[in-house]
Amino acid sequence: MRGVVIGGVLACLALAVAGLHLGVRVYAPGQVWAAVTGAADDTAAIIIRDLRVPRMALAIVVGAALGLAGLLMQSVTRNPIAEPGLLGVNAGAAFGVVLLITLAPGAPFATIVSVAALGALGAAALVFGLAYSAGGGMSPIQLLLAGVTVAALLIAGMQVLIILNETVLEELIFWLSGSFTDRPLTGLWIAICGLAAGVGVSLALAGALDVLQADDATAQSLGVPVVKLRFGLLAVAALLAGLSVALAGPVAFLGLVAPHLARLAGAQTHRELIPLSLMFGTLLGLGGDLMARFILYPTEAPISAVMALVGVPLLITLLRRNRLRVT
Amino acid sequence: MTGAIRTVPPLAVMLIALVAVAVGSSFMPLDRVIAALFGAGSRADGIILWNIRLPRVLLAALAGAALGVAGMLLQRATRNPLAAPSILGIVDGAAVGVLIFFLLFSNDANALVVSVNWQPLAAAGGALVFAATVGILAYQDAVSPMRLLLYGVAMAALANAIVVLMIIAGPVFRASQALIWLAGSVHTADWREVGILGMAWLAVLPVLAWIVRPLDQLRLDDESAVSTGLNVTRTRIAALVLSVLMTAAAVSVVGGIGFVGLIAPHAARLLYGTRAAPQILGAACLGAGMVIGADLLVRAAFQPLEVPAGAVTALIGAPYFVYLLIRQGRAYA
Repeated sequence: MRGVVIGGVLACLALAVAGLHLGVRVYAPGQVWAAVTGAADDTAAIIIRDLRVPRMALAIVVGAALGLAGLLMQSVTRNPIAEPGLLGVNAGAAFGVVLLITLAPGAPFATIVSVAALGALGAAALVFGLAYSAGGGMSPIQLLLAGVTVAALLIAGMQVLIILNETVLEELIFWLSGSFTDRPLTGLWIAICGLAAGVGVSLALAGALDVLQADDATAQSLGVPVVKLRFGLLAVAALLAGLSVALAGPVAFLGLVAPHLARLAGAQTHRELIPLSLMFGTLLGLGGDLMARFILYPTEAPISAVMALVGVPLLITLLRRNRLRVT
Repeated sequence: MTGAIRTVPPLAVMLIALVAVAVGSSFMPLDRVIAALFGAGSRADGIILWNIRLPRVLLAALAGAALGVAGMLLQRATRNPLAAPSILGIVDGAAVGVLIFFLLFSNDANALVVSVNWQPLAAAGGALVFAATVGILAYQDAVSPMRLLLYGVAMAALANAIVVLMIIAGPVFRASQALIWLAGSVHTADWREVGILGMAWLAVLPVLAWIVRPLDQLRLDDESAVSTGLNVTRTRIAALVLSVLMTAAAVSVVGGIGFVGLIAPHAARLLYGTRAAPQILGAACLGAGMVIGADLLVRAAFQPLEVPAGAVTALIGAPYFVYLLIRQGRAYA
């Protein structure tokens, strides 16, 4: 465990530093140092300061937020394939943002964040409500199918909105593909505060989350308000997903992979799982961002596609283990 | 009573098709449509009808019918009422095939170096590869039809990521072409595409006629079906391959028009019962009606913009899928 944590943090640092150096243009450590400390003012310094540092910050915040959102969804529903991307929560946030930009172009970032969060909450409520009303508790399969379908519905709606309003088409298509490049940093502080609040809440409830991993009746008899906890933490997860969608567009699979890596690393209680999911989320965000620069070199690839290449094999592996309750 | 209800869908499809021919950026009353159809109308009417409206409606009808029948075969073969080509990754697989075809056979001037008539074959190849992968993954734990859907969802996500990467990597001209095609629309229809799909239909018709009887036997459980003299595995694989090929043919010309393959067979079963022959005819008829209707709707509502018909079928189809999901969940609970 301790080795994994040290290794993970070191890997995060290494990836972050590498991300400043590597890209379409590769810069020497001296140039990067001069740019970061503000000693230089040439093109290289501008590229590093204004392009690479912001996307590094975004990759860290979005990765950590999605990792935590995925963990919360998986723990609260006891469903190993729960994830904001697959369950349509990201699509809900994206739909909210597309609607907002179509109706009121040039809205300030704070508005975009709140609308994205609202959209995410709405989609999460819809998907979980549907899965509940399908009966049989919350079978992972029902939940996933409900999520995929709600996502398809929202994506179709977005398509119509985008085609109806061609002026915002370019801006939206770029944003919808999910990427850390050229995003405004104005909202990063809001996102960092949101992330910090989310981490605080989930750490405070870590004990209750552990108890919830048994069945509902046991948790209830041990004094955990199961329904309140479930809905509260799902709302937190949806808000985190909404934040990251507002920042970087919909990124799928990151929230699925990070908590599983944390479990593979040996974390069992939520006091360990939460920080490790944050760490692996950051690692995936930074690593994915780096891969996105090179997988289609010299063109930039959307982070969502890169994450799917990593996430789908994992999803299939999870399905092949017979741990899933299937109707 | 039921007899009367059964004749409603074919009549409705004909009516929708007629309206679809008449309505467009310039409205053409029925008498002018008929006159132009027989070459008696004005030159402009004739050109609009024969070069634009007619291929568009025919293409929508053929593609919709193919998707409806493909979905019905898929649901029968997997014994899973929720199986649909768009959910099992077949549509996205076909998209991957077509994009690889675009990328491999384009020269520097972005022109295709081989005939575009090969495009359906590329789509079929991609669809078969992804469908086979889903099939192999699900075959090893064949106990659960739901698991099949999950593998389908996973492979569809993978295919989707590959499509996005290829669109970005490819030349810009091809990218915009691919995006329009992927969204699923029939507004670029021409007679060549109608011809491709018509030939595909001619090719599958005999197989379809042959498979009707085994499909009825397949409704029994496996052991009873075997005792009626049916080779269950062979029938099932034949139905699956046929379904994949029909999906691929439709997708390669009209793109990703989702949820038709899910809804048409269901509605057909409600209307025409569970016998295979009437259900196939019904699914074809209703599928055609759905796509013509969706295309008509986007033409009438969003003129002059070309909203893809696939968006409309998804907006109608997704809620229906959710309804089926809930009903099935309740049945199990």
